[in-house]
Amino acid sequence: MDGKMNTIVRLCEVCWLSSIRTQEYLLFKDPEDKFHPSPDVLTQSVGLNITDTFNCTAMTPEQRILLGADWVWAVLEKNTKNPRIQIAVQVLHLPDKETVEENRVPSDACSESVQIAQKESSNKNIHERIVDFCASIGKDCYTLFLFMGKKNDKGNIYGVLSNNFEAAIGKCNKIDRAFIENFFKGSRYLHTPSGMMQAIIPN
Amino acid sequence: MAATQDAKGKGEGGDQNFDYMFKLLIIGNSSVGKTSFLFRYADDAFTSAFVSTVGIDFKVKTVYKNDKRIKLQIWDTAGQERYRTITTAYYRGAMGFILMYDITNEESFGAVQDWSTQIKTYSWDNAQVVLAGNKCDMEEERVVSVDSGRLLAEQLGFEFFETSAKDNINVKQTFERLVDLICDKMSESLDTDPAVTTGAPTAKLTDSAPPLQQPGCNC
Repeated sequence: MDGKMNTIVRLCEVCWLSSIRTQEYLLFKDPEDKFHPSPDVLTQSVGLNITDTFNCTAMTPEQRILLGADWVWAVLEKNTKNPRIQIAVQVLHLPDKETVEENRVPSDACSESVQIAQKESSNKNIHERIVDFCASIGKDCYTLFLFMGKKNDKGNIYGVLSNNFEAAIGKCNKIDRAFIENFFKGSRYLHTPSGMMQAIIPN
Repeated sequence: MAATQDAKGKGEGGDQNFDYMFKLLIIGNSSVGKTSFLFRYADDAFTSAFVSTVGIDFKVKTVYKNDKRIKLQIWDTAGQERYRTITTAYYRGAMGFILMYDITNEESFGAVQDWSTQIKTYSWDNAQVVLAGNKCDMEEERVVSVDSGRLLAEQLGFEFFETSAKDNINVKQTFERLVDLICDKMSESLDTDPAVTTGAPTAKLTDSAPPLQQPGCNC
């Protein structure tokens, strides 16, 4: 049990540090507009080995379309380094921001491979794709829909996590934004990130 | 086999100006160097930092063969068992495979037979396969001899190369050979299928036969 607690504490520290970094990144404004990272840095799959037991992989633009995930967090087996638990994260912005995002043509959107990926995945929406991806791995892969901002609290970050969203497809429900947001309507309280991690990390 | 063909000036999005599109897959155990191999070929880049591929990814590269523009859609698969459901879903329709092992890792060599079975189970019968023993720059750590690799390839009916993504050894050659094998197979199909007779004794990629319209047909 101590091992589990240590793992959770360390993971929470990592999550906290990462959130700070993310926040810094999101709020960062280059006053002189001189920050031009190489497109390669931003488009290749980037792995961040935070410790020897946790890592986070940022998906390539093609993977984001094919798999529906923006990042995949993993708790690794110590010996094999194989993932023990994974959390595939899909980031959702405020609806108005989302519209802006959708209308914006990112530099990589014109790339041929991105268009091929879109064609390959055209039969399902992006929310269904991440659910399919996690379901194809198994119950140790969780989907986290992460909302950046609420209507009246734009700085809030909250989400819904499950390893069983595919059950909704079985019940003929369409997995779309309305379906995901519906999870919050009946919620009496929200878990903290540490509570969430505690619930999913096995002994 | 499914070769997307002759999409010059039409289609939805992307650079559609090609004569043929081949779908290729790189498969093999985790950490044998599949992603590095693809990066070397597509971007001429190499990094020793290891990032385990999540699920599946791909890159596109166009090559020219006998004045024909061939677009290669190269799928890089995760080697870890947990992604097997998603990766095998992409085997269907693949025309060629690079089955990779690591010459410094006996286990990855031992798994070649299983990967070969996966190809037979999930892909088209006509899919072509090249066996690649990667990391041949690490001679001092070699545990799989060249002869063992070659022998296994012969037994399985595959072509064989030892390669190094790091030192750029036989990377381009492996892809070129695979493309050649696919083209040969396609010409063979044309020869044996009366429905696609063009009047030429042998219809090869070099010939200017009109493109075939039916799906599942080739050059």
